[in-house]
Amino acid sequence: MNPLSSHPGMNRRSFLRTTAGGTAAIAVASLLPAGCSRDYPAAGTDGYTLLALTPKEYAVMRATAEALLADVPVEPALVAQRVDTELAAVGEPVRTDMKTVLRIMQHATPLGGHLRAYTALEPADRLRYLEGWARSRFGLRRAAFQALKGFTHFFAYYDDRTRPITGFIGPWPELLDLPVKSVDYGEIA
Amino acid sequence: MIIQGTNRQGDVHETCDVVIVGTGSGGGTLGVYLAERGWDVVMLDRGGFFRAEDFTQREEDGMADFNGRRGLDSTADNAYFLNYAEAIGGCTVHYWGDSFRTPSDRLQRWREQHGLDWMHERELDAHFTQIERELGIHIAGEELFNENNRLVRAGCEATGIAGHAVPTARIDCIACGWTQFGCAYNRKSSQHITTIPRVSKVGGRIYSDARVDGITIENGRARGVSGVLVDRATKAARGRLRVDAQFVVLAGGALGTAELLLRNVDDPTVGRRFYMNPHYFVWADFGRRIDNNTGIPTAYAVDGKRIVEYDANGEYAGGGYIMLTNHQSPGIFATMLSEIGPKHAERMRKYHQLGSVMSVIDEEHPGRVFLDDNGIRRTSFELKGVDRLKAVDYLKNASRIFLAAGAQEVWIPDVYGTIVRNEHDIETKIGLRSVRPNAQFAAGSHLIGTAPLGTDPSDSFAGSTGEAHRVANLYVADGAAVPTSISVDPSLTIMGVARWIAAGLHERAGRAGS
Repeated sequence: MNPLSSHPGMNRRSFLRTTAGGTAAIAVASLLPAGCSRDYPAAGTDGYTLLALTPKEYAVMRATAEALLADVPVEPALVAQRVDTELAAVGEPVRTDMKTVLRIMQHATPLGGHLRAYTALEPADRLRYLEGWARSRFGLRRAAFQALKGFTHFFAYYDDRTRPITGFIGPWPELLDLPVKSVDYGEIA
Repeated sequence: MIIQGTNRQGDVHETCDVVIVGTGSGGGTLGVYLAERGWDVVMLDRGGFFRAEDFTQREEDGMADFNGRRGLDSTADNAYFLNYAEAIGGCTVHYWGDSFRTPSDRLQRWREQHGLDWMHERELDAHFTQIERELGIHIAGEELFNENNRLVRAGCEATGIAGHAVPTARIDCIACGWTQFGCAYNRKSSQHITTIPRVSKVGGRIYSDARVDGITIENGRARGVSGVLVDRATKAARGRLRVDAQFVVLAGGALGTAELLLRNVDDPTVGRRFYMNPHYFVWADFGRRIDNNTGIPTAYAVDGKRIVEYDANGEYAGGGYIMLTNHQSPGIFATMLSEIGPKHAERMRKYHQLGSVMSVIDEEHPGRVFLDDNGIRRTSFELKGVDRLKAVDYLKNASRIFLAAGAQEVWIPDVYGTIVRNEHDIETKIGLRSVRPNAQFAAGSHLIGTAPLGTDPSDSFAGSTGEAHRVANLYVADGAAVPTSISVDPSLTIMGVARWIAAGLHERAGRAGS
């Protein structure tokens, strides 16, 4: 998903500036990172070698999974690692857009009335913060919410541990053992 | 011969009569028509070559293997997920097989507004009939209906909103239910098991993992294409690719064709119209297990609202969309819900008791495809004007159908948690806020119109024959060529148009009768 950028001739930063609410977001995002490393107490990588995300972006992704997936039998770190792997594979523009979303989410907490960065919030506060973005009247914030939520949920629920929650038994061919019609493709090289 | 670019080392240089970029509904149909009439055909697709044994039916595999941008593409504002495939067979690998002939009113519009005199049943019917025969297109019988399909039909009967069983492209379907991640049993009539093998067996060369970047144009005439063969996993180049041809046909889909043209041809009409038939998803909780996993996803369509209606004052009065019965796998379903935290988990636990439909909004206001400042293909789309009213009307009527069918409650999966249980809820809770950008998950999968046919060069990329106005011997024969929204699944229209273009090309090249 590529939630940012808009139309020909407009780059990501100018799009943010044209969007109400985006002005504040980009201002916060551009001012805060240098001084907020203390807000990444868990900015390690859980022993995983990152492919696309920085440790700080990974921490935001993991913190999101932690907040969104309470009581869901999947490790937040695993979801964050899947997102990292996927962003490395998919390339642009999805990779840069998602990384931008993660940085904005981390540093725009003042828009939600919080003085601490996103990863420093308690999970329940993170959830409320995200709900604020979901229902925001500003399109940019709803876009960022949908992107973050979409990645988190997709990479949590395509999993043999989470699928059973839904009652989904799967159409797995190896279990169905149904006949496959043959196709003559001619020569294949 | 099918040549997997991912297995090749070194450069490739081909010479042929016609090179076709894209192997889906348009490319496959046009390719087999010409190849079986003696043309030396080379087909190229940037996606991989997958067969039944490769289709695990797991969404994570399907999305990564053959969905465009690994299933993560969207409009620039993230409001619409874009669902398209990149594989030998194109979008027919993951399509649901719905195969509607082009509605008469749409053909009439294209004749009257775009000067396409041949867009008429008398020209197209023979092509449609032949394609339907070859792909086994037939009206879905009761054996393909799952419970969700039956419930929607019952809801339509109770509300008086018309619906019908859909024409579907499958032969000897075993109704296993899942088709979105490739048919694991070769029963769905995708191009990669129908036209592509036929091209292969008459001497055509079909390259997978072949990314075309350039169109060779000399003195105003297309002479071929160039690009690279890529490693399927890493997308790293394995060798250069050059194809010299008398004719070049673009059939890489509305996004692929537009991107290639934007990089190679100076034509302001390219990418200016981008239709997607916006999909909004409605879920209905029946409070008991619903079989929405067998049969086929869409055996039944609600088509009674396809035509938009206006009152005597010219005000919108309803319609302008169809509904397709729908199912989704858990990961995608999870993404569609707007709840988070425990509320989301609670809804996930009800997955197995949900019925669903999705909209096909017949939009009047198209979006755009463009290259951004970094040269990366992007899309923009905004639901505007009357199209917003159509989406709201759809949400209301979908709710009515499910409530009439016995649903306990209907979920409009927006960020406001809208749930309706009766007509009062429908009238008071469903409104324009639900269809604001990013107020709910929405998608587009009927991607068309980015290099349209038409007789006016200021408004269309190619003329009525499919040949570009500004570049000789360059043709477009895929969803990009379709002038406007079709209001139904575009696959059969694309095939019919491609076959008509192929027949004309064959005749004009002096090969008719061969």
